Amino acid sequence: MIAAIFNLNHPAHTVHWHFFTMSVSNVVVILLMLVVFAVAIVAPFPRHGAGRERR
Amino acid sequence: MSATTKRSWTGRVRERAVGALPPEKLLPDKQPAYMASWIYVFGVLSLASFVVIIASGSILTLKGPGWWHFTGTGHFFNSIHLWSVELFFFFMVIHLWGKYWMAAWRGGRAQVWMTGAVAFIVAVPCALTGYVSQQNFDAQWIATQAKDGLNAAGVGAFFNVTNFGQMYSYHVLLLPLAVATLVAAHILLVRKHGIVPPFQLSDAGEPRATNAMPVPDSEPARAAGPGSGDRPTPVPKPAPAPAHGPAEPATIPAEPVP
Repeated sequence: MIAAIFNLNHPAHTVHWHFFTMSVSNVVVILLMLVVFAVAIVAPFPRHGAGRERR
Repeated sequence: MSATTKRSWTGRVRERAVGALPPEKLLPDKQPAYMASWIYVFGVLSLASFVVIIASGSILTLKGPGWWHFTGTGHFFNSIHLWSVELFFFFMVIHLWGKYWMAAWRGGRAQVWMTGAVAFIVAVPCALTGYVSQQNFDAQWIATQAKDGLNAAGVGAFFNVTNFGQMYSYHVLLLPLAVATLVAAHILLVRKHGIVPPFQLSDAGEPRATNAMPVPDSEPARAAGPGSGDRPTPVPKPAPAPAHGPAEPATIPAEPVP
């Protein structure tokens, strides 16, 4: 059996903010979604025809 | 049209279907220029993840819990199924954010928005029933936690998450069927109404794109879909920017996207 990359043999780490509680893994996923969302808006999209100009 | 076709319900259905979704709209080979942005790819990424979910889930259903728990290949397909679900929700949330901030219900696209939103909502119990159908301690833990939540919400008598048979039936048949139906309806509605255009730059006081044709009012923008070929007729002089409301740049020319 291949071991997990991270040591999972402990209770999950959580983030507490007043009444709000969330696991660190969920916080990481949400932050990652925000980053990908921002990159998707600002990153340039390859224009169609750019390849044809090189021909 | 022949008299036979008029009397036949199959003929009437075909005519309505082709009228609503002619082949050039159903399978367009051109897309509007404004789609040249990464934010427009998350819908199809969600769809691709969903296809992997259905394919890997079908294999898991054929082989059963003993296979997915105790064989290397079973573990592999179990992981494929899990991570495609993770990616499905990841992409779907970004798709939702993108469409929310561009008000994708504009131009008569309320049904597109609603089918997408309901598909997202139905996908949540679809995933939950999968987590409680794993047949391991993780499933037991999640089921008992979910049971508390459902009891607190007053629906515990209808959905027994500790009942493997009930949850497995929900997971492999009822809920995937519902999600697939909603996704199919969502895609057909997108094809019918076209991809929602971005807000006009002129609304924000920015100069209008030089190749854009003026929009007399917001109504013609409804018809501006990818490959629809029904963009409004150009008029000689540019129209002023609309005083209110999210007018759509229905005049952005289409260009082929590979």
